[in-house]
Amino acid sequence: MHGVRQARQTREALEAKRIKEQSKLHDYLALTDDVLSRKNQNDWSRRALQATTQLLQVNPEFYTVWNYRRRILVNGIFPESTPEQIKDLLNDDLSLTMAALKIHPKVYWIWTHRGWCLNNVPSGPGTGDDGDPRGWEKDFWNQELFVVEKLLDADPRNFHAWSYRRIVLSSLPVPRPETSELAYTTRKIESNFSNFSAWHQRSKVLSSLWTEGLLDERESKEKEFDLVQNAMYTDPKDQSVWIYHRWLVGAGDDIGILEREIAVIQSLLDEEPDSKWCMESLVHYKRLLLRNHASLVDHSNLTRDCINLLEQLRKVDPGRKARYSEIGEVITNLTVLSI
Amino acid sequence: MSHEKDLLLVPLHVSYIQNLGKACFLQHNKNDLMYHLTAHLRMNAIYWGLTALCTMGHPEALARDEMIDYVMSCWDEEAGGFGAHPDHDAHILSTLSAIQILVTQDAIEKLDIDRVVKFILSLQQPSGVFAGDSFGEIDTRFSYIAVNALSLLGRLEDLDVDKTVNYIVQCRNFDGGFGSRVGAESHAGQVFVCCAALTILDRLDVIDTPTLSWWLAERQLPNGGLNGRPEKLEDVCYSFWVLSSLSMLKKLHYIDSDKLTSFILSAQDPEGGGIADRPGDMPDVFHTHFGVAGLSLLGYPGLVDIDPVFCMPAALIEKKGLRKGWQALERRTGYEKSSATVENVLESEHAT
Repeated sequence: MHGVRQARQTREALEAKRIKEQSKLHDYLALTDDVLSRKNQNDWSRRALQATTQLLQVNPEFYTVWNYRRRILVNGIFPESTPEQIKDLLNDDLSLTMAALKIHPKVYWIWTHRGWCLNNVPSGPGTGDDGDPRGWEKDFWNQELFVVEKLLDADPRNFHAWSYRRIVLSSLPVPRPETSELAYTTRKIESNFSNFSAWHQRSKVLSSLWTEGLLDERESKEKEFDLVQNAMYTDPKDQSVWIYHRWLVGAGDDIGILEREIAVIQSLLDEEPDSKWCMESLVHYKRLLLRNHASLVDHSNLTRDCINLLEQLRKVDPGRKARYSEIGEVITNLTVLSI
Repeated sequence: MSHEKDLLLVPLHVSYIQNLGKACFLQHNKNDLMYHLTAHLRMNAIYWGLTALCTMGHPEALARDEMIDYVMSCWDEEAGGFGAHPDHDAHILSTLSAIQILVTQDAIEKLDIDRVVKFILSLQQPSGVFAGDSFGEIDTRFSYIAVNALSLLGRLEDLDVDKTVNYIVQCRNFDGGFGSRVGAESHAGQVFVCCAALTILDRLDVIDTPTLSWWLAERQLPNGGLNGRPEKLEDVCYSFWVLSSLSMLKKLHYIDSDKLTSFILSAQDPEGGGIADRPGDMPDVFHTHFGVAGLSLLGYPGLVDIDPVFCMPAALIEKKGLRKGWQALERRTGYEKSSATVENVLESEHAT
């Protein structure tokens, strides 16, 4: 149970509620008994399907009933239906799950049932020689992308919806260019810099665009640095942006990027002298300089900077001081070893 | 010395769980609609309740025989696994809970081990990930469940380890964390399941420990509570998922344990018992269990050690020879603040 406020109620109020619940409870138990006994008898009739509809409308978390519903459709209803009728039945199920998701957007079983529906769209309306046999499939999947966007508008961090979105994108009969997914994450990020789910998605999309040579890595990275710096300066406390920045810098093979980003963060730190994320990131990037570009950098200066920053971090972020101390020791030990 | 709100209300939580148990095993409170609407979680709920009781030192507070009978009544003969409730379909989630309950109650002889192993192994997909049931929903949670269950049943040798690990590795993100499937965002719950599966399979080498322990430490919010992803709200259940992962990485001292302890305690219901997701919300047995488990890892006085990998009593896992190299905070003897203990852990960590 998440986010349900506790209300203290009087004994009388509780009793009134209990009586009101009794008839609901009676109906629910009768319906459950009906559905489960039909299930035990392998009843795959339309009446059974209707009973599962009723029960799932009351309790969409009843996974056994979703399972049973799929068995009824596959074994009982589809074999005696035309492709057109199957398509309509699946549409009904999409409406049923949509209504459930509006109230329970984080119930795994409902998402699973939607995915099952989409994967069972029959060929049509054409037959191959005449018209497009994947026409329905295309319509269903395209519509699904629209639906999942609506759900992500309602809760831009819902990880079920993001996960489902990735399934939809990879299942589209006519794949969308990945650049349009990049544009989608831009919109999500611009409406809220804190949306790490969108930053995460962006990191995946960009990696793939770079690997496939569809975007010039160097050029597109520069655009990303601009976007991130903008976000950093807007809210230096927002960790989504800093985590993404760390991905952009990556292993720190490019000394030019490292030094430039260190300078950018340093000037932000000058404006926001207590910024924990500036200090944390400076330590990380300076350590990358020390590790990857040892012969090109001022070793003792960087080491001293890191030690000082870690000292300050222990003060501004005392809850995590043990981690800062450990990093400090690692740096000191390396210094001792290198002498 | 301590104020009441700083104490874990053990007797109250024990009776809270006992009351839930009465509904389940002794047919009390059967007129409660909510009880019936949550039947699909019943097997998990019994595992949460039993484990919380074990952690609080009252393993016998629920009737053992009735519990075992109930578990066995959820056996799905057709599938060879357990459902969440009698007449519910077998699923890997309820199957693991059933196995954990039977192991905790020392009643594993009731189980047809060969059949249940067959059921679990049948759920592994060509990619290496596990499905939850024959309908094929996949998730790294199910991979962990398979690894955990096979390990408890002494049948890990039946598992294709490389294939299983290979899928988990593909779910690793640049922030060091893991998602529910390839491409998914890191999430503390998924980090727990992936870390624990890799721990059981002795494959922690595929984890980027400095990055992941940084990401995990950043789950702590100024009020002491932990969230599951960046820029999200705190929730008591993440106490366990973040802490257990940190303890497997031996970095539990990276967060402020006093503040987290206070946060968990502040989410207790001081009247009816139980722990909620956050202060002022309705308690439930899920958050009660994960709150108490988190407190145990933080060394809260008087609690029994919980194994963060299997999420079961540590002594039991040790007795079965399954203990891995995790590290919790030292158990405190009094109710004073734990800072001194944190320092001790730090020192012993450095000494090794």
